[in-house]
Amino acid sequence: MTSAPIGDKPIAVLGGTTVVELDPDAAASAKGEAEEQARAQRNLGWQLLWRALLDQRRALVFGVAIGITWTAAKVAVPQLTKAAIDRGIERNGPLLAWSLFIAGAGLATGLLTAGRRYLAFRESRWTETLLRERIFAHIQRLHVGYHDRTQTGQLMSRASSDLQQVQQFVVMIPITLSNVAQLFAVTLILVLTDWRLAIVALAPLPFINVASRRFSSRIHPAVLAVQNEQAQLASVVEESVSGVRVVKGLGTESVQFDKLRKEADDIRAVSLKAAGIRSRFLPAIDLLPSLGLIAVLGYGGHRVVNGDLSIGDLVAFNVYLTMLVWPLRNIGMMVALGQRAAAALVRVHEVLSTEPAVRSPKQPRSLPARHTSQPVGAVSFENVVFGYGDEHRVLNDLSVSIAPGESVAVVGATGSGKSTIVRLLLRFYDVDQGRITLDGIDLRKLDVHELRRNIGVVFEETFLFNDSVRNNIAFAKPDADLATVERAARLAGAHEFIMRLPEGYDTPIGERGFSLSGGQRQRVAIARAIVADPRVLVLDDATSAVDPSKEHEIRDAMRTVMEGRTTIVIAHRPGTIALADRIVLIDEGRVVAVGQHRELLDTSERYREVLAAWAVRDDTAAAEVPIAARTPVVGGE
Amino acid sequence: MFQMGGGVAPEDQLDKTQTRRVMARVIRMASPFRRTAFAALGCVVVTTSATLAAPVLVRHGIDSGIRARDLFELNLSVGFYLAITALAYIFGRMQYVFLNRTGESFLRELRLKVFASMQRQSLAYYDRNKAGVLVARMTADIETMGELIQWGLLQFLASGFLVVLAFAVLFSLSWQLTLVVLIVFPVIVVASVKFQRDSNSAYLTVRERVGQNLGTLQEGIAAVRVIQAYAQEDNQIERFEKSNRSLFASHVRSIRISTWYFGLVEFSGVIATSLVVGIGGWLVHEGVVSLGTVVAFILLLSSLFDPVQQLSQLYNGVQSAAAALHKLFAILDATPEVDEAPDALALPSRGNLKVDDVMFTYQGGSTPALDHVSLEVRDGERIALVGPTGAGKSTLAKLMARLYDPVMGVVSYGGVDLRRGTHKSLRQRIVVVPQEGFLFNGTIRDNVRLARIDATDAEVEAALDRLGVLAHFERLPEGLDTEVRERGTRLSAGERQLVALGRAALVDPAVLVLDEATSNLDPGTEAEVEAALERLMQGRTTIVVAHRLTTVQRADRIVVVNNAKITEVGTHGELMALGGHYSALARAWEKSHAG
Repeated sequence: MTSAPIGDKPIAVLGGTTVVELDPDAAASAKGEAEEQARAQRNLGWQLLWRALLDQRRALVFGVAIGITWTAAKVAVPQLTKAAIDRGIERNGPLLAWSLFIAGAGLATGLLTAGRRYLAFRESRWTETLLRERIFAHIQRLHVGYHDRTQTGQLMSRASSDLQQVQQFVVMIPITLSNVAQLFAVTLILVLTDWRLAIVALAPLPFINVASRRFSSRIHPAVLAVQNEQAQLASVVEESVSGVRVVKGLGTESVQFDKLRKEADDIRAVSLKAAGIRSRFLPAIDLLPSLGLIAVLGYGGHRVVNGDLSIGDLVAFNVYLTMLVWPLRNIGMMVALGQRAAAALVRVHEVLSTEPAVRSPKQPRSLPARHTSQPVGAVSFENVVFGYGDEHRVLNDLSVSIAPGESVAVVGATGSGKSTIVRLLLRFYDVDQGRITLDGIDLRKLDVHELRRNIGVVFEETFLFNDSVRNNIAFAKPDADLATVERAARLAGAHEFIMRLPEGYDTPIGERGFSLSGGQRQRVAIARAIVADPRVLVLDDATSAVDPSKEHEIRDAMRTVMEGRTTIVIAHRPGTIALADRIVLIDEGRVVAVGQHRELLDTSERYREVLAAWAVRDDTAAAEVPIAARTPVVGGE
Repeated sequence: MFQMGGGVAPEDQLDKTQTRRVMARVIRMASPFRRTAFAALGCVVVTTSATLAAPVLVRHGIDSGIRARDLFELNLSVGFYLAITALAYIFGRMQYVFLNRTGESFLRELRLKVFASMQRQSLAYYDRNKAGVLVARMTADIETMGELIQWGLLQFLASGFLVVLAFAVLFSLSWQLTLVVLIVFPVIVVASVKFQRDSNSAYLTVRERVGQNLGTLQEGIAAVRVIQAYAQEDNQIERFEKSNRSLFASHVRSIRISTWYFGLVEFSGVIATSLVVGIGGWLVHEGVVSLGTVVAFILLLSSLFDPVQQLSQLYNGVQSAAAALHKLFAILDATPEVDEAPDALALPSRGNLKVDDVMFTYQGGSTPALDHVSLEVRDGERIALVGPTGAGKSTLAKLMARLYDPVMGVVSYGGVDLRRGTHKSLRQRIVVVPQEGFLFNGTIRDNVRLARIDATDAEVEAALDRLGVLAHFERLPEGLDTEVRERGTRLSAGERQLVALGRAALVDPAVLVLDEATSNLDPGTEAEVEAALERLMQGRTTIVVAHRLTTVQRADRIVVVNNAKITEVGTHGELMALGGHYSALARAWEKSHAG
């Protein structure tokens, strides 16, 4: 028996050869503990499903009831056929009546099959749909720290392929229950009709169940192996296509071809292995019921000749036996599906049971109201100490105060902790020591949503949603009217290029839409922040992704937005830094110098170093830039 | 139980002539495997016949054995039944083996052929076709067929055969009862055809919505930082719910379609039984047919109805496989634009690289990318190509390396037209180093060796050493044997560039065509890349598509390309004095550098 992987860690490894070198007792107890833990987790997974199904109990119970009624109708058909043969045909009885009875039963089975199928599939899809929404909602609320550790792809498969496994299991529940009912009913009828023949005829059938179960657990890894090889081939094709310039430039087509041939051979080999498994099981599964049928003809035939059984019974036996083939196969498969669903449920449960680490307090304080007379947006970092996990500290006793309406540029080398400041201000993470306040209130005492609504961030990389430009700008206030959006776009210097887009503000952008240049994206992001109308604006390296020659366009937009608003600019280009009232130089998680650009250039050696290092990186010549665009010269400051 | 994931979009559906052509070609391509293919077909015929023989034997047992009280006949039937069951088992096993062997060998052949054809195509082909589409051809499209072979093809063949044979058997047993069955059979056929159509369209909707929903899901996860920063979790959840519910609705639609179909199929099966019992019983009374025949009919009904069901479900799979094959054959039929001439000769080992009155237009482009361009690069000379984006400097560089062929005019090396040179000698003389160091899966050593696959370890190391970067890589914990993994994400951009330069050094070409990186490297390796590049260029003709002024200044001659033409040629000093494009360019650069 292969043990199903639990979570992404194969528990089975613990029981394998790797443990042998350990103290045997310790290994045994470790194994026991691990098994215990796995079992506990599996239970939690099943509980998750059970609770979900409980909400759908009405439809599910109805589905099961239909399934069992279906069984009754289905089982009745051979009985009626038998009666028709024995009484109608053999004894010249009323044939029409029997035919009509059979037809009636047929109508019932038809309707009930439809009902059972509909309910089973609909309910299983509903379970899947609701669970997916739960996962999505939960993921949305999980703290950024969790997302920093977890790959997008992993969360994606929780909400897609794992739920698919669950759905495939749930759909089988009503079907399996009626199959079990059918199994019992048929066995009972056969035993009551002729128990001797029943034993002989049914003897081979349990092996169908055993064989299907074994087949499912054998074929699963083989199918995974095929998929794995296919993925490897895909990666060769992918690199050959995206690296075609290298391949052509060096003329190494044959090298890639040899790689591909190896992968194609591997796929063929594992596929044939899988086919071998199928060839060993599937014909055998087909063979077993035939053995029962042969027994019915041979042994049953003798009993009819001896007068112990009617011909109708013999036919009924035949039909009943074929009727058992699918239920037995299904039950066998159900076991394998159940194992896979259990593993999937454990993984889903793991996500759903993760608690968001950053939460609003029970009784949040509210920010002081915004009056025109009293400027708001005072930000203060007081002796902040912070590190990601157990790693070394990123911020080390950092203190800085920003007055309402003031703009501050934060400058520092890579890894100095600049971006961490933004993350802490948004409460993506909580400080380890010290505190951060907004308008005098500790961030942890504020409602998280209220805090974030009051801080507008333009990230280094702009994320554009697959939606219209308008909705992307109105992101923070989805119900904002077009006038608001347009005003924000004008302020951000985005209006003009938006109007040149094929559908203006309704042009779809994002991955599947119209593609925008780096500078255009940034301006959309700035417009987005303007719509949010925050107390504090944070521009996190907003110009770094932009060609230096285009930077001035962004800079103009930034200058407009910053007016009269507390602004924190993370920057390294002199032109951008110059926008700020004050510059804070950060090094190794501490503020090392504060002052104005000229001042720091004159007094701080470190400041000059940091800027020089960045300048080297920006050493991009003008050659790539269209000459016409260049002439209205950049360095206006 | 194993449902095929088939489904064909209307625009992909093939018409009759296309289908016939695809079929003919498949048969031609499969002819090397015809032995196993025929063996598989033979097995299918045997097992299907065995399935059908069973009810006939039951009939014989009942009529000649039981009702005639002839135990010998009964035992004979049982004996035959056992024999055919054993036969069905043995041939059943063999048919899986033969069929899969044929199918997988065919797919392997298809994979190799399609990939080889893709590799033969010129860069222009890759400009026209999206990378994602090409990858999908080699993966998803071929896998669709793999699935069909593993699960469906056998059933498809067997089902078709079974229906035909079952009717033949029924007819030979009793034509009267066969007519009775024919009352119900068309209902199933019509229902199956309608089901096949409806379920195909429902499936396509489901597939499309699954894609959309995954898109929304992925967006919601990838953008979680922005969403939380703007406190938009609730709106995003609502947005996802909308797309998720629309997916659910499409599932329900597809469930409805299968619901009525399967209900109808089950109903028809029983109705057929009731008709056979009623009319058959009457015929027994009339002495037209035997009771055993009626029983055989009842037992055979399932052999008749199940295959029709299966055929309708597999039809979609077969159709989508045909559509996939059609697209794959289109790749096989694409003629490479840059191909080796039949009488190709080796290019001379040194010489001038000469562009003579060359015109070039990209496919689908309305204006020429290069318009009557001429340039002669002397052996060992260093040329910098500068100019605005899209002016044609990269195109010129690519033509000089024969990544494209000119529409008009000649590019020659040492007096030999590049089109007359062998591919092999071309890549030995002229090496292109692209903008970004692209790494393939494997070790650093593998990645360098890629340029000359027969190079020894020592030669690889020597090449890196000549560039002065061997020590850099040997400092890594696993040295040159470091696995680069996932496109070299373990190495910095600068290190990847070093590997790319190492490749060029290993080839040791006479001409280097460099596309300088526009993006910035980490300051640490920046200097190292510069130094390695300088070493690599020593003693070689070099053409650099330049993005940095420092590079430009070091060139022997600067060539300004603007509007598909060469507008200025000269040294830095000469062009500055000229006061044209180049001088404006250089001045603008200096200003931006000052900040």
